[in-house]
Amino acid sequence: MSSKISGRVSPQPCPHLLDFCSRNGSKPFRALQDCIRVKPPGGRAAIRREPFEVPRCGTCDESSRPRLYACVACAAVFCHAPPIHSHASAHALSVPGHEIAVDVDRAELFCCACRDQVYDRDFDAAVVLAQTITSTTSTSGSTVTQCKATGSQPDNLRKRRRVDYSLWAPNSRENAIIENHSIPLHDATNGSLISSTELPWGLRGLNNLGNTCFMNSVLQALLHTPPLRNYFLSDRHNRYYCQQKNGATRNGSKNSRFCLACDMDAMFSAVFSGDRTPYSPAKFLHSWWQHAANLASYEQQDAHEFFISMLDGIHEKVAKEKRKTHSPGTGDCCIAHRVFSGILRSDVMCMACGFTSTTYDPCLDISLDLEPSQGVSGKSSLAKSNNSCNVEADCTGSSQNCGISTLKGCLERFTRAEKLGSDQKFFCQKCQVRQESLKQMSIRKLPLVSCFHIKRFEHSSIRRMSRKVDRYLQFPFSLDMAPYLSSSILRSRFGNRIFPFDGDEQDACNEVSSEFELFAVVTHTGKLDAGHYVTYLRLSNHWYKCDDAWITRVNESIVLAAQGYMMFYVQKMLYYKASEKQAASWCDVRK
Amino acid sequence: MSHSHELVIKSSMSRPPPPPPTTNKDQQRQNPSLQEINIKLIQSGEKERLKELLRERLLECGWIDEMKALCRAFTRKKGRNNVTVDDLVHVISPKGRSSIPDSVKAELLQRIRAFLASTAD
Repeated sequence: MSSKISGRVSPQPCPHLLDFCSRNGSKPFRALQDCIRVKPPGGRAAIRREPFEVPRCGTCDESSRPRLYACVACAAVFCHAPPIHSHASAHALSVPGHEIAVDVDRAELFCCACRDQVYDRDFDAAVVLAQTITSTTSTSGSTVTQCKATGSQPDNLRKRRRVDYSLWAPNSRENAIIENHSIPLHDATNGSLISSTELPWGLRGLNNLGNTCFMNSVLQALLHTPPLRNYFLSDRHNRYYCQQKNGATRNGSKNSRFCLACDMDAMFSAVFSGDRTPYSPAKFLHSWWQHAANLASYEQQDAHEFFISMLDGIHEKVAKEKRKTHSPGTGDCCIAHRVFSGILRSDVMCMACGFTSTTYDPCLDISLDLEPSQGVSGKSSLAKSNNSCNVEADCTGSSQNCGISTLKGCLERFTRAEKLGSDQKFFCQKCQVRQESLKQMSIRKLPLVSCFHIKRFEHSSIRRMSRKVDRYLQFPFSLDMAPYLSSSILRSRFGNRIFPFDGDEQDACNEVSSEFELFAVVTHTGKLDAGHYVTYLRLSNHWYKCDDAWITRVNESIVLAAQGYMMFYVQKMLYYKASEKQAASWCDVRK
Repeated sequence: MSHSHELVIKSSMSRPPPPPPTTNKDQQRQNPSLQEINIKLIQSGEKERLKELLRERLLECGWIDEMKALCRAFTRKKGRNNVTVDDLVHVISPKGRSSIPDSVKAELLQRIRAFLASTAD
């Protein structure tokens, strides 16, 4: 009876549970479901009892034991306090058929003979249902069951099924085509310029054109973003063809004059040509100025702002050409979204009635706040007591223990349920008034490349009042995003339950791999208005510092100690989707 | 692992409460037993409120994450199918009890005392 959902195995029922279910009809826990009480609304589930009722163990009359179980068969309550004693187990052993009990405080099933928690799908579904108040309207997709039934989740996620990777090698005819239409990278024409073995292919300095390190740093990261690099190097956006097409429209419209994707294509060609002399991305800068006119100056800019702006620029041009409507999350519109676009889920729960409103929004990156001031008494004393005890577990799992800000800690805080202030009351559709609410973010769909932006610059409306947060942030080389996915966040909201997340089966093709690898770090040093951006790139597991025109190999310890501003992680495993078109050529398969 | 919270409450409650300041009236009254305190807390609903507060504090200071990590490490070592709830409770209880921040203990004790004082006959 154990099934695999998104890699999760549902626990096998023990023989006693199986026996109980077989003896008690199709809905063995039906009566128990009526006894579930959820307090406060949307909060924890427990077994309902009278307000003045104090559950006591039927054997020893104790009420202060940590765990009290009510036998599902006879409703008698017993305590379970190993290793001292367990009257619950004694009851189970003495009366056959009375092994299954329910925790009165937690509404969780327990087998007193096996002395372990057991799970029943129907019972857990009933508990989850009780915890999420159902509403009659299905539009906002508030409840779990409604999400399952009506598919209020973004439906463009279900489009294409996953296909198995099949190795491709060119046959002789294809080889001939390739040879005739491409320039081998190790050709003798540029032989004199190719450096020996010092730097790997594709590393080339970028000249600073006047405070343009903000642009150079982001460009270096993008030039080595695997899916983006592969796209341009495999000629998916041919700049000659694109310019030819757009040269036809000479009506003077702004769009026909520049194309950021073409400039990217030119840059990729230049950077991967083998020429090691620093490249000047002047054309790209000029095109970007056309797109982001308000940022066109030689002043220092924010690298993150540039990043978003240029992705936007690529999208505007490319999506318009392809005449694709902006379908958030799938990235069908342009390469920028294909690589970087993910979907965030936001749940806002009314604290008065429990009604939850869910919305999905696409995102190109995730902006994270640094922790507020450290040294709160609770945290510091935990760290103290930590040192005196033998810590078995990996310390990096819990960021607060070590007293250092970590990327994982930021992500944990990002996905933590947060009480919205009383000045931010949310309009509850059920109550029809503004109520205090609980908000929780989670990641519905992971992008191919996750860019984490650390909010180090605090701007106020008057620019002079901005400041920079210099606090060090620890970031890992490998990152598992599973705990921050909507499926994980929702599961943890309901505790120990069998919880099939909506669209789990379909999710299998999108989210089987949640493991990411770091490949680029954009760092900032200096002050807000007078600072410098530098990018560290990871190629073949070596780290390289890209400081405008100067590229040097560095030790990974330098990177780990750097002040990360934007961190780029790429999915470790890439999956193929069946092509939309009838004739599936190799270039349609996403890689 | 919310089970561990209860064990902690219990251990702090097993320490006898300090004797109330003696007045003529108090000398006639005995110290309430653990059972009596517990019943009062449950019946008034205060125990649930205290549990919620405790959960919040333990989440904030990373204690819950730490216990989860211990459970995961233990489960990985023993194998997922060879671990019961009782095993986990047994494994993390000593560490759990000893790593509760003093500030959290103090806050809860203070609240319990305040509650008992406010409901004194």
